[in-house]
Amino acid sequence: MIQKKICMLGSFAVGKTSLVQRFVQNIFSEKYHTTIGVKVDKKLVKVGEQELSLILWDIAGEDGYHVIRSSYLRGASGYLLVVDKTRRNTLDVALEVNVKAQEALGNVPHLLLLNKWDLDGKWDIDEATIGELIKNGWDVVKTSAKTGLGVEEAFIKLATRMIG
Amino acid sequence: MSDSNIKSTGDNISESEKELEDLRRLLIRPEQEEIAQILERMDIPDIRAEEVSRVLAEAIVIRAKRDDRLALALLPTVEKVIRDSVKKDPKFLADAIFPIMGPAIRKAISEAIQAMMQSFNEAVQHTFTLQGMKWRIESIRTGRPFAEIVLLHTLIYQVEQVFLIHKETGLVLLHAASGQENIQDTGMVSGMLTAIQDFVNDSFSAEGTQALQSLNVGELTIWIEQGSKSVLAAVIRGNPPQELRSVLQKALESIEFEQNEALYAFQGDSSSFESSRHHLVACLVKAQRDKKEKKTEKTSQKQPVKTKKKEKDKEKKTGLDLKWLLVAVGVVCMLLIVAGIILS
Repeated sequence: MIQKKICMLGSFAVGKTSLVQRFVQNIFSEKYHTTIGVKVDKKLVKVGEQELSLILWDIAGEDGYHVIRSSYLRGASGYLLVVDKTRRNTLDVALEVNVKAQEALGNVPHLLLLNKWDLDGKWDIDEATIGELIKNGWDVVKTSAKTGLGVEEAFIKLATRMIG
Repeated sequence: MSDSNIKSTGDNISESEKELEDLRRLLIRPEQEEIAQILERMDIPDIRAEEVSRVLAEAIVIRAKRDDRLALALLPTVEKVIRDSVKKDPKFLADAIFPIMGPAIRKAISEAIQAMMQSFNEAVQHTFTLQGMKWRIESIRTGRPFAEIVLLHTLIYQVEQVFLIHKETGLVLLHAASGQENIQDTGMVSGMLTAIQDFVNDSFSAEGTQALQSLNVGELTIWIEQGSKSVLAAVIRGNPPQELRSVLQKALESIEFEQNEALYAFQGDSSSFESSRHHLVACLVKAQRDKKEKKTEKTSQKQPVKTKKKEKDKEKKTGLDLKWLLVAVGVVCMLLIVAGIILS
């Protein structure tokens, strides 16, 4: 089976961990986020006939106090940038983190996940902004950890682009 | 008439030859100029060198991919260059290799000192106890150093799992275990182990060349050996001897040598590493103690050097016991003879 390292990046409390918790295999405690800043999980996906084992490095959120260690990004074949659609500033952080990831990894496949899509009426990122992102070449996926919306789709989309 | 005819014919021939020559010149002039240029290039070494230099790098890459002959051809020259360079100024080469030699020497020395300290501590600890006295007698009887006897009786360890991890991605290339107990997902464990190493390196390591070598968790010790493209992590239960380090190092060196190309080209498919599994299995060493004797065994089919050595010791011990038995029988016989003489 082919293995690929992927990273999960984004601002603090955008729901990165919740997003994957129900959909991946995990053996490590949440404590690792606050101690060493990363937790490794695994997600099996099937793209056509090819089975892939995605080793998911869930990296602690970046905020004013914590900075993502670039050594955790090393060797990743792709990454997911998670944004909380009810907090506009998380998009700005994601775009900053993206620059850092591009510096470390080059132009590897990546997706922008607009999370907490189930929270109706609390939008801080409007459709126009999303349209602008798509126009700028971003691959945007609407997700919800609560309903499971778009999660599988996001993993399969990223996996397809990594082996394509 | 005939003379004038001959003359006019001769004139015609020379004229037609001249025309032919002109035509030839017109037709093949560019080619002739090119040939002249090529000959000129071939004759002037500077121009030839300039031409070759344009394709030299590409040619080397192509040839190196095809076979090893380029490396073999260059080998004597490279060796001579290194020899001459050292002869001329040893400092130059020493400076160049210092960044890699320094840490390697430091590591070797620190491991040798650790091994020595370990045997010294054990020896001191057991000198004045009843057990210690017994071992000292054993040392005198077998003619082996006391420290060796102490180590033989006290070391109990087992290498439970060995991971071969791709250094850059943290993905598991190969995994071997002595049993099925407590084995978590190897992909996640090797990822986390890599993350912990990165964390320690980023947070505490002063130099980039230094890396995490061991982790201790209760009864478990994780020893980490760093290669150029891969990392070997051994999960050990108990108290491992320092010699185990060299077993791990050798296994890693052999794998890196065998899988050099696969390590460079690794894109997530670890199937080609299966052929090196025996090196990993060879690291699953076990040493255990029971009341009467000490034995070392290995879960792999191949017997380690250490086991053979201990089997020899066992044979030696059996031989000694037999000798003592014969002496005792001899003494009893003598006593019986003496008693018989007295009674008669």
